[in-house]
Amino acid sequence: MIKSAFTRRSILATGSGLALALALTACGGNVAGSSSTADASKFPAGPVTLTIGADPGGSTDLIGRALAENASGALGAPIPVVNKPGANGALATKEVGASKADGQTLVILNASLFAITPLAVSAGETVKIEDYEVITGISQDDYVLVSNASSGMKTMDDLTKAGKKFNFATTGVGTGSQLAQALLFKQAKIDGTDVPFDGGSPAMTALLGNQVDLATIQLAEAMPQIKAGKLNPIVVFSKERNQYLPDTPTAVEAGYDVPVSQFRAVAAPKGTPEAVLTKLRESFKKAFESEAYKAFNKQNLFTAAEIDGDQVAKDWSANAAKYKELTVKYDVDLGGGK
Amino acid sequence: MDFLAPVINGFGVVLEPMNLLYCLIGVVIGMLIGVLPGLGPAATIAILLPLTYGVEPVTAIIMLSGIFYGAQYGGTITSVLLRLPGEASSVVTVFDGFALARQGRAGTALGIAAIGSFFGGTVSIIGLTLLAPIVAGFALDFGPPEYTALAMLGILLVATVSNGSKLKSIIAASLGLMLATVGRDTFTGEARFTFDNLSLADGLDFVPIAMGIFGLGEILYNLEERHNKVQAPAKVANVWPSRKDLKESSGAIGRGSLLGFFLGILPGGGATIASLAAYAMEKKRAKNPERFGRGAVEGVAAPESANNAAATSSFIPLLTLGIPANATMAIIFGALLIQGVTPGPQLVQNDPELFWGVVNSMYIGNILLLIMSIPLVGIFVKILRVRAAILAPITVLITLIGVYTINNSIFDIWLVIVFGILGYLMKKFGFEPGPLVLAFVLGSLLEENLRRSLLVFGGDAAGFVTRPISGILLLVFVVVMFLPLLQKAFKRTRTTAPAVEALHDEKEKV
Repeated sequence: MIKSAFTRRSILATGSGLALALALTACGGNVAGSSSTADASKFPAGPVTLTIGADPGGSTDLIGRALAENASGALGAPIPVVNKPGANGALATKEVGASKADGQTLVILNASLFAITPLAVSAGETVKIEDYEVITGISQDDYVLVSNASSGMKTMDDLTKAGKKFNFATTGVGTGSQLAQALLFKQAKIDGTDVPFDGGSPAMTALLGNQVDLATIQLAEAMPQIKAGKLNPIVVFSKERNQYLPDTPTAVEAGYDVPVSQFRAVAAPKGTPEAVLTKLRESFKKAFESEAYKAFNKQNLFTAAEIDGDQVAKDWSANAAKYKELTVKYDVDLGGGK
Repeated sequence: MDFLAPVINGFGVVLEPMNLLYCLIGVVIGMLIGVLPGLGPAATIAILLPLTYGVEPVTAIIMLSGIFYGAQYGGTITSVLLRLPGEASSVVTVFDGFALARQGRAGTALGIAAIGSFFGGTVSIIGLTLLAPIVAGFALDFGPPEYTALAMLGILLVATVSNGSKLKSIIAASLGLMLATVGRDTFTGEARFTFDNLSLADGLDFVPIAMGIFGLGEILYNLEERHNKVQAPAKVANVWPSRKDLKESSGAIGRGSLLGFFLGILPGGGATIASLAAYAMEKKRAKNPERFGRGAVEGVAAPESANNAAATSSFIPLLTLGIPANATMAIIFGALLIQGVTPGPQLVQNDPELFWGVVNSMYIGNILLLIMSIPLVGIFVKILRVRAAILAPITVLITLIGVYTINNSIFDIWLVIVFGILGYLMKKFGFEPGPLVLAFVLGSLLEENLRRSLLVFGGDAAGFVTRPISGILLLVFVVVMFLPLLQKAFKRTRTTAPAVEALHDEKEKV
């Protein structure tokens, strides 16, 4: 029910937003140069659209919607959410990057799109973090390596000592799931074949049916089966232990240089005035502090990573460089398309 | 009791007022479009897809499936009264239905059709209720190799068993397979046929293709057909069939229901083929086959029971394996995806409310249809007076606005227009759009699972044969492929048996 209410509201809001935007453009037509100076005191001038480059219902979508809901009060304007799925989010991200830099159009960024996808696809299909004003980091979503409980594999030692070849499921080409596993198995000298699936759910189904030996999926997706005792968590790929899976070691602790997490941030087009960014930043901060949003994070097993925008840009660039270096060092090839 | 609990919960879901309302809306719309010649259930469901975007998944699917089986009831009415089949699946009903109407027994024909439809539908729902959990029990054994074999079998059946010219079906299916290759390669990230357009990076979306080919294409095609002058329909007197009629047709209804149930499960099967096959079977079994075409009650009872049974049973492969058996199921597949539900082996377990809600809604829907179709026939006949010139522009508008709202994408509107024109041209030149759309869905399933299987097997294709389920499916594949050759050989050795030949000829037509 919550989902349907959201959807309907967003469609309505988009419609009214559009009408409002048209009206505003019509009025502002005579006032020469008023838009180029972008008076921050007039921000927000109507609804602020938050674009999400993924289908409704996925992690990115849920996060965007929770944020929009909790930040709109502080911002003093509605924040309608618009889903524009396509090309791992590159479609929506590029579109927002090319829109007017007035803070009225924002986008949720996925770190993997900047740091991992470029390792697998051609340059024309990628985006650069430098082309955006990152407003703030949002949260961190961790990957966990799991095995079918019936296999008895519980630790990295079990895997290295098994002395066999493993088929491992990934959630797709150019994802953190693929990168993390490819690097881990190369470093651990485990012989494995990378089997891409179309998302986390089919990958997990294949593992539950013993079609593959291992899989790396997002924590929230694996958790119900881990709790039910059907999947064994082997390692998580975050730098530090995950708060929701405190007994499972990280890959780094197990001795492998594989720090891979999915980070998300919210951004505006390059050149958005600093005053506007500040106002947006404050509104999102209010959202982060709200109890409703905290409960949302907990319920969906996200770890807050409300990092400063500039730091996000630096971190992600550093990650991109690090992944690139690791793939070269360990001779890992994510795809044939680059 | 473990087995029954979710089934009973499902009834709870259906009986929620919202779901009941949508079930009623669905069957009424289905009945209406069934009466209107031209726009079929596939087109209607495609056009109405985006409207279900804002409601709960279970409610949406209840309504869309209501349209599907409702159309099977409605299609009969015009077949009997006007000699104008409202649906492809009611084409054979015309022969005896209209003959009965001319003898002043239109009521009998409609009554028998409604009772047969109800019985066929009910048999299939019970079959679905019992069979689906069994199939779902094997669900986790269905890995990439099994899906590969199933997709291959599906494409073969779709291309060879469908109505109309075999060659044209194969051409349409090939086009569908080619369209399925567009987009980023799932295994290497390579861009294929995207022409550097990011909108194509994820491949062509199924929904705009279905809405274009079935929705827009059908509307354009129907506008061209101006021969639909409404004649004065035959008077409907008593719709309650006599005891004698019921007795005569009860066997036909039973056989038609069973045949329809099995044909509906097969990929490429479905209501139309089931009705043709059931008619052929009755004619062959009859003591005086010459009665057929001159007002035999069985000639109405059998195909109408079969098409409804098949319409219902074609939900089995979709809801248990995630494989659509026919074009309409492919669109329901799209509807589930839009709702964030991936139909597949896990559905019964993970989403029992959706699964049993939809299945049980069919009991209710069939009862509603039975109630509506007997006394309300006169009202539905009046609908035929609505002019296409009014209906068509409204439908086009709904289609285009609808497709935009799914992904907020202008690109999708262009896709609908392009595929609408393609669909129109295909119909005009006698190509069935069904094989294209189904091959498109099954094509990506085939490619991805074939490559995935080979990865899992380490490149050794022998694994396809040694795994029990995929081995059996491949055996069926080979049998279906060489069946026509075998039949030919068989015929040559027994040229003296005209019955076999007759049966074979019927099959050819099918």
